[in-house]
Amino acid sequence: MIVESRSKPAPEARAAARGALSINDLHKSFVIGGTLRPVLEGINLDVKPGEFVSIVGASGCGKSTLLRLIVGLDDQYGGEIRLDGERVATTSLDRGIVFQDHRLFPWMTLEQNIDLALLNTDTPKARRAQIVADHIALVNLVGFEKAYPHQLSGGMAQRAAIARALVTEPKLLLLDEPLGALDALTRVHVQNELQRIWMTQRSTMVMVTHDVEEALYLGDRVIVMAPSPGRIRRIVEVDLPHPRDRGAPLLHRLKDEILSELMAGPGETDNLVRLPEREKR
Amino acid sequence: MNAVLSKPWLRLAIGLVAPALLLIWWQWQASSGDVRSIAFAPLGSIGGAFLELVENGSLVSDMVSTLSRSLTGLVIGGALGIAVGVAMAIWRPLDRLLGPLLHAIRQVPLIGWLPLLGLWFGTGQGSELIVVSLSAFFPTMLNSYEGVAGVEQRYLDVGRIYGFGAFQRFRLILLPAAMPLILTGLTQALAFAWIASIATEILLGIGSGLGVTMQLAQTQQRIDIILVTVIATAILGFAVNYLFRQLRISLLRWQPASL
Repeated sequence: MIVESRSKPAPEARAAARGALSINDLHKSFVIGGTLRPVLEGINLDVKPGEFVSIVGASGCGKSTLLRLIVGLDDQYGGEIRLDGERVATTSLDRGIVFQDHRLFPWMTLEQNIDLALLNTDTPKARRAQIVADHIALVNLVGFEKAYPHQLSGGMAQRAAIARALVTEPKLLLLDEPLGALDALTRVHVQNELQRIWMTQRSTMVMVTHDVEEALYLGDRVIVMAPSPGRIRRIVEVDLPHPRDRGAPLLHRLKDEILSELMAGPGETDNLVRLPEREKR
Repeated sequence: MNAVLSKPWLRLAIGLVAPALLLIWWQWQASSGDVRSIAFAPLGSIGGAFLELVENGSLVSDMVSTLSRSLTGLVIGGALGIAVGVAMAIWRPLDRLLGPLLHAIRQVPLIGWLPLLGLWFGTGQGSELIVVSLSAFFPTMLNSYEGVAGVEQRYLDVGRIYGFGAFQRFRLILLPAAMPLILTGLTQALAFAWIASIATEILLGIGSGLGVTMQLAQTQQRIDIILVTVIATAILGFAVNYLFRQLRISLLRWQPASL
């Protein structure tokens, strides 16, 4: 809806130029209590433009650290993170993020909170209001433009945060447990909206979650991470078209497999059941 | 009980009970014939003194000068306090440079500066204004500093993600996030400036002002006049404080359940 107002390259060209994330041999350590502790080790991952990738793993496996690095809030890392070939060194409007806590500014109205994302874009002021209104409609918050964050419910605030992250049309949208703080019903509702938004916008999305079902419902692929130090244990393809049916047998089978994988201790990866898709290849 | 308090006129009436009891007790003391009753001017003579001060215009002019002195001091001290506090919180070397000095100066009660200031600037209006401004400066500076220094990193991260420059970060994040504490500082500063005005007026006794009249009335043993000025001080201070609270509530309407 908003893309149309800008220059329109051929669809294939756009897809090629938009949001290809490649991570090569990424390392990250923190100094904790005087000793250097690795939190991420040897991460290799390629995300195709327009792909939705979910990352699951036990707490402490460095999932959130990984997103902080990709978004550019922390530039102290070894290895390479590249978006469309360009090395990530600091934050950029090409990369958006939604945090677990909505992080709307409590002193601004919903409208102002979304508009602030456009301040440093070259969008003319007159268009900004329209874009903000469009995105408020996109996340179903029409009528709450002048509300302050404390007047919104948790689910509404989180949807507003998603709208704020989307207005800049980032090539890559990172979602750091965006629905973790929501109750089960709201969660399902926002998951559906997220799927709908992703299907309309088709920007690349990487979502960290510890809800395996959510990871499978939304992700084209699910990255299973192992903790201390954080590394990729397995990558699961979810070969189902969107929009998906939550009751699909494949989702349930994959969920059981990923859960048992997560429960298993380190080093037991070889004993795991093979995925049917994998065996076919 | 809460239902009773929900009616505004009842709330007002309940608030007036204690002052009314105080007046009754006062009148009883004044008419008891005890030796001490000289210190309790009867309500009638206080009323007389009130009319006298209103008629010759000195009550109004005293209130105006004390109020304008306090507010001028609040503006000067408050503005400097916000500027210095915010600057120290944003730029830590300035904190290192000025912090120890300011925290040491702060330990001296403000009245303690009067003799020194009197020597430097004379015992005139200038010294009074300096003391009043200084008393407004410290609470504002300390709270502004805490407000800006305590801004949560998660909000600053949002600013980085959307490419905020230094000025945007200041105007859109640091200042509004610190605003509740800055206003707390200004509210304290208002009370301090008010007290400092009255105190310096009593001590220096120059020009006009409620404190000046209090001091003069004491030398003339006019208990009634002292009481009129004390009551005027209390009511005026109460009113200014109330207005300030309303201002605070309207400025911080984005906060859940504003104080």
